Amino acid sequence: MTANIATQDRLLNEPAPSQRRFHVRQVLIYALLLLCAAIVLIPFLWMISTSLKTQNQLFTGRVNFIPDPIVPENYITVWDRLNSIRPGMTFWRIMGNTLFITILAMFGEIFSASLVAYGFSRFRWRGRDFLFGLMLATVMIPGIVTRVPGFLIWRELGLLNTYDPLTWPSLFAWGPLYVFLMRQFFLSIPRELEEAAIIDGANVAQIYWYIMLPLIRPVLLAVGVLSFQANWNNFQGPILYLNTPEMFPLALTMRFFDQSLSLEAPQWQYMMAMATMMSIPILILYFLAQKQFLEGINVGAVKG
Amino acid sequence: MTDPGALNTYLPTLVRYVLVMIGIGVIMLVVYRVQLALGIKREAATGRTLVMPWLIGFIVFNVFTIGASFYLSFTDYNLFRAPEWVGLENYQELFDISFGTLESRDQRSSDVLARRHDEIIRVEIGDGGFVIGARNDSFWRSMRLTLLYAILSVPIGLAGALGVALLLNQKVKFLGFWRVLFYMPAILPTVAMLLLWRWMFSQNGIINSLTFPIWRLTSGEAPRWFTDPQLALPAFIIIGLWGVFGANSVILLAGLKGIPTDLYEAADIDGAGNWAKFRYVTIPMLSPALFYNLVTSMIAALQLFEVGAFIQTPESVGTFVNWLIYQEAFTLRNMGMASAMAWILLLIILALTALIFRSSSVWVFYQGAREERA
Repeated sequence: MTANIATQDRLLNEPAPSQRRFHVRQVLIYALLLLCAAIVLIPFLWMISTSLKTQNQLFTGRVNFIPDPIVPENYITVWDRLNSIRPGMTFWRIMGNTLFITILAMFGEIFSASLVAYGFSRFRWRGRDFLFGLMLATVMIPGIVTRVPGFLIWRELGLLNTYDPLTWPSLFAWGPLYVFLMRQFFLSIPRELEEAAIIDGANVAQIYWYIMLPLIRPVLLAVGVLSFQANWNNFQGPILYLNTPEMFPLALTMRFFDQSLSLEAPQWQYMMAMATMMSIPILILYFLAQKQFLEGINVGAVKG
Repeated sequence: MTDPGALNTYLPTLVRYVLVMIGIGVIMLVVYRVQLALGIKREAATGRTLVMPWLIGFIVFNVFTIGASFYLSFTDYNLFRAPEWVGLENYQELFDISFGTLESRDQRSSDVLARRHDEIIRVEIGDGGFVIGARNDSFWRSMRLTLLYAILSVPIGLAGALGVALLLNQKVKFLGFWRVLFYMPAILPTVAMLLLWRWMFSQNGIINSLTFPIWRLTSGEAPRWFTDPQLALPAFIIIGLWGVFGANSVILLAGLKGIPTDLYEAADIDGAGNWAKFRYVTIPMLSPALFYNLVTSMIAALQLFEVGAFIQTPESVGTFVNWLIYQEAFTLRNMGMASAMAWILLLIILALTALIFRSSSVWVFYQGAREERA
């Protein structure tokens, strides 16, 4: 900040030419930012625009962002189309499946990650740093290495084609990144708080629940958003473990729909309607929690 | 498969979810009591107890599965018969690579390679050149695509992210708005975005419409992005960059904001120009954040899975290797071969990460280390 003020002072004290350069600089900065914004937004707007078009409007070769006529019915027709391919894949069922998986996995991840992060940060014990390093190292393991034996375990347990492999393993803190982010946050809490509580006779569970959790609320929210979007978007797990189409979450439904339609002419308006529907809940959550979210994810980068 | 109904699929899982939760609680309690009984201090016992959920999961879902995967990579296994030990056969097939020299440019690769080997890399130098081929060409082509993707997209993405972060650090107005906007692509569902990009890159798609003047003049024909071997990789890189550069720039921005301003003031007093300040203050101070970003993006790029499922590429291009391994295991049911492929990928990721970590002592600068020396 001070450096910028210093620059500004220097610029203000100097004669006109450099002041003009200052303006040119500002204009250039905003022009570049707007360019980046356009790059981010154009595909997104194109998705929404396509989802509101008729089949004839798709292949005109012209770039028309505002459809004429606008057909919001696509959002309903897409589910009728899906139903005609496979009765039972209704909007409510697929949304229910997606939410069921997402909520259980998200709860498991946040709950277990906060316990584990607490254990890795606020207590001294032999082997702690080694195990923490080991946990971080597991991010390098490609999911595909553990997929084949994982699949065999679930087959042995007779739990293939159930939601089990996608939900309760989250209770075992399967996201090292979440533990890492929460640990960074726990480390920043002064030790005196705990000591005072211990003197007052609080036990670990009480300290965790009444002191720690409220203090780490921003990072809980950030991890919550990350976890919600990761589970909502999860594709690799469902494609491996689920094979009854009625049980599919949205991500897998999109592939099912894509593959069923691929024999016919591409009907991008329906695909994009579904893609938009899949994006909306995440976007709402993101915009609501953006402040805490961006703050929370940055903790890892700055101190990591 | 017939549909068992919504409730019949939700309820049993919910019940088992609660049981597992209770089970973990009981295990934690037992572990705690046993430690206290062994005379371990309360603090250490509590810490160890709290990490139990992760430790159990680590042993079952990581140690055990990785061990099993290693074992399976030496077997022939199709899910129906018991795994049959074949020793190094899977690896021998994967590493059955041949090398041929081209005498002229028109010579076909298959003429100079071993029988049943197909080209994976062809380099033409002057009138001749050389060709590398392999028996399992689809694996190596996919590996080539995945590695090239990672090696090209990660540095470009990081440089772009750094550029945007520097822009955002220029005391811009509405900083909160730009940050939220630029991070957005990373939050959107991969699956939905892949379909969107496939549509945008399709022959009548918006990208060909927008670049109409360019291709009209050069080739006269609309590019077919995913079927043209020359264009598939650039298209994948564009998709990948769109997804991450904004998010990385928001993270790097936090790093930039954390650089103490007295360093810049000191540089000002020393008469440093903008470039010198960037080179000798910004880059070293930001290097831990750059390092973190480099490692995580490299690992993420090498683990891409969904792209292969949603965007088909011609055989000469290959597909993303994680998707190829998935197909080998679950479509072709060659569990042994798939495990061997997965292990090669794992070793490549470990080697690349180790390389980045080794290089970090040269270019990553930790402030703590500086203060200790001072």
